[in-house]
Amino acid sequence: MHFALPPRKTSRPPPYAARNNSSLPIPPALKNLLRRDKLRLVVVGILGFLTVIWLLGKSGKDTAPKSTTPIPKIPKVAIGSGPPVVIVTTIDPKADPAWVQKIKKNREDYAKKHGYLTFFPNNDQYPTGKSPLSWAKVPAIRHAMTEYPGSTFFWYLESTALIMNPSLDLQSHILNPSKLEKSMIVNEPVVPPDSVIKTFGNLKGDRIDFVVTQDKEGLTPTSIIVRNGEWAKYFLDAWFDPIYRSYNFQKAESHALEHIIQWHGTMLAKLALVPQDLLNSYASGPANPKFGQYKEGDLVANFAGCAKGKDKESCPEQMKPFFDILDQAQ
Amino acid sequence: MCAYVPGNTAHAQRTSIPRIPPHNSSNSFTVASSNSFSASAGQRRRRSSAARQPPNLSLNNFPPPHSGTGTTSGISGGTGEALPTIPGTPAFEMSRSSSPRPGGWSSPGLNTPYDTGGGGSPQNVTWASAQARSAEVKGYPAFTPRNQGFLGKHFRRISSSLPFSYGDKEKLGRGRYQGNNKVLQWLNRIGWNLWRLRRIIAPVLLIITFYVLFYVTPLHRYYRRSSWFGGGNKFVVILAANQGGGVMEWKGPREWAIERDTVKNKKKYTQKWGYDLEIVDMSTKKRYAHEWRESWEKVDTIRNAMRKYPHAEWFWWLDTNTFIMEPTYSLQQHIFNKLNDVTYRDINFFNPLNISHPLTDQYLDPESRSPVGDGKPDSINMLVPQDCSGFNLGSFFVRRSVWTDRLLDVWWDPVGYEQKHMEWEHKEQDALEYMYQNQPWIRPHVAFLHQRKINSFPPGACGEKGDDPQIHYKENDRDFLVNMAGCEWGRDCWVEMYSYRRLSDKLNRKPFEKIKDWIVDTVKARWEKKNKNGDKKS
Repeated sequence: MHFALPPRKTSRPPPYAARNNSSLPIPPALKNLLRRDKLRLVVVGILGFLTVIWLLGKSGKDTAPKSTTPIPKIPKVAIGSGPPVVIVTTIDPKADPAWVQKIKKNREDYAKKHGYLTFFPNNDQYPTGKSPLSWAKVPAIRHAMTEYPGSTFFWYLESTALIMNPSLDLQSHILNPSKLEKSMIVNEPVVPPDSVIKTFGNLKGDRIDFVVTQDKEGLTPTSIIVRNGEWAKYFLDAWFDPIYRSYNFQKAESHALEHIIQWHGTMLAKLALVPQDLLNSYASGPANPKFGQYKEGDLVANFAGCAKGKDKESCPEQMKPFFDILDQAQ
Repeated sequence: MCAYVPGNTAHAQRTSIPRIPPHNSSNSFTVASSNSFSASAGQRRRRSSAARQPPNLSLNNFPPPHSGTGTTSGISGGTGEALPTIPGTPAFEMSRSSSPRPGGWSSPGLNTPYDTGGGGSPQNVTWASAQARSAEVKGYPAFTPRNQGFLGKHFRRISSSLPFSYGDKEKLGRGRYQGNNKVLQWLNRIGWNLWRLRRIIAPVLLIITFYVLFYVTPLHRYYRRSSWFGGGNKFVVILAANQGGGVMEWKGPREWAIERDTVKNKKKYTQKWGYDLEIVDMSTKKRYAHEWRESWEKVDTIRNAMRKYPHAEWFWWLDTNTFIMEPTYSLQQHIFNKLNDVTYRDINFFNPLNISHPLTDQYLDPESRSPVGDGKPDSINMLVPQDCSGFNLGSFFVRRSVWTDRLLDVWWDPVGYEQKHMEWEHKEQDALEYMYQNQPWIRPHVAFLHQRKINSFPPGACGEKGDDPQIHYKENDRDFLVNMAGCEWGRDCWVEMYSYRRLSDKLNRKPFEKIKDWIVDTVKARWEKKNKNGDKKS
């Protein structure tokens, strides 16, 4: 279409266009380079340049002597592929064999019911040196982890304790993250009554690697749950360090535990302190005044200190009525 | 534009004559006196002065100004022969009658096409004259005049003195220079070939330009720092300054000089490779003294650095008395790209402490019992060199990881310190050795570096002679770093620092400096020899 006349020019001429729109003055030679038809050239140039730099950076040899230890084949077992819980109890080989059989049977019955495993090492098979044999529980847990690398939780239960309520499943009873978050005691002094170090208040249930209880005097390593993993190795190895074993803590490994928990934040951050009757009710001994005493229906009845009694037979003696109750239930 | 003609135009020389090809017969312009000629030739250039000339001076002999503008091709391309073909030169003007210009025939005295100067009659106003006048009135020109620079003013004269000869014209040249000058021919050919190959040469030139730009500007630092290319932001150098200073000891000028040198050395190195440098004050503090934990601040310091540089992966601890001898080595190239090759995890390879290495306790997992951990470089979280007496923490690496977090946490423990503080002379270093031996979880994640990779010793540390190939600095191998360990006890730190700094400078001279030094040295040697001979003779 052609118009007869060109359109009328505006009577208000636009103001002069700015000489340079951008504040950055680009020289015309560079501007010319940035035109679209030249862009390919520029891109190729940059890429070629980067390649040259990259190639130059690759060179370099090394002449240092090399260690020639072959890389061992370490079988990788995924945590969680095995039975969920392993119950560990260290056995004193000098104890009454009949009683030991009963203790073992108590754990085995419970494990069979829930598909768990049991592990009963002797307490003198570990290099505890001159320190008390109660230290054996630490390498025993580590040993169980070596034996059953696919399991997730390792429940150490002292031989002075009995599982009294086999119907309670450990996982739904304690270890379920939401359950754990609800039941763990936060902001509580690690050592009663007034330690400055208190349990953390904002821990997530699925991040907990260590479940422990507290009696009247302090942390009770007679019934603890440790989650398998790198943290467990760190925790157990640090706990078992000869420097603590040789220090003459009054209560050996349980004071050492209190010490490392209070001084090292990476351990406290993985710890969940649960009410004593969830995991470690005392049938006798210095129970936690709030919820430590054994009552019917609790998972565990612990005869704390019975082994240290004057007569060696005190443990079987004290446990007798409880064994009877268990036998009746079956 | 103009040409100097060697031979035949002796009468027209001196004042150079514009727009007249030299081969012209000269009779055509003898009419015009040479000075009127040049005056009006300058007319367009210096308007005001030209305007003073009487307008009727042989105007018809000359082309109207615009016709002369085409003749500028001559010198720039070296193809001056093309001149005669250009229309509007006086020779043709004289010999042929050309058709009238747009302004009509020029008739002197009747019309004055251009400004007649000063107060001209109003009816003769042309655009050019008006412009000229307005320029006069304003006092400064309305536009920036061209040819104001040195070249613009003098180009004519300079170019006319160049040795171009348009004397013999060769028709076959097709506009190219065909003279006898070999060098020029040669240059010409190169120029043409370059132009012909421009599609290939341009990218190459571009790459070279980028390369130069890259290293001249700080661009290479950004490149080396970026996590995509160089990865320099993954490394932090922690330099302990002021070690043991503070209340216990005043710093003298030597200590200041040492600190200045060591800081400068690390600053330069980290800047070059895009690493971060964290200089920490390690002066004795009451807080640590109270808790018996002098020199365990190292742990707190590393933790702080980890918090401060959240993107960094490896942290390199360096004592004050260290000097990076080879700043051209990057950490990536020197160590971390070939971590498996430069480290050893089986301590039996070099074991001054006689640590019984693979742990044999049956209760431990296979990884803890293995001599090399899982053997993968990813599982290395700490790199420590060993000197003649065990671990050396004057220069070591830790990697940010959960493992490191735990190690830093258990490193200092009051129970351990209470029992061992008399025994542990080197405090945190001994504590680490102790933990390595007694806590199995540590072993699979510690790898050892050859001492001379990052921590060569000078003679005096670990043996007076300094000839242990595992430990002592060797100039010929260009070791990376010298740690003047223990120089505060009986040796002179400043002298060592100074001499190693000089040595490093000497080893890392630029090629140019090497040549210069070589020349100076040979001249000096000759001079001395001569002097010696002279002495002998006398």
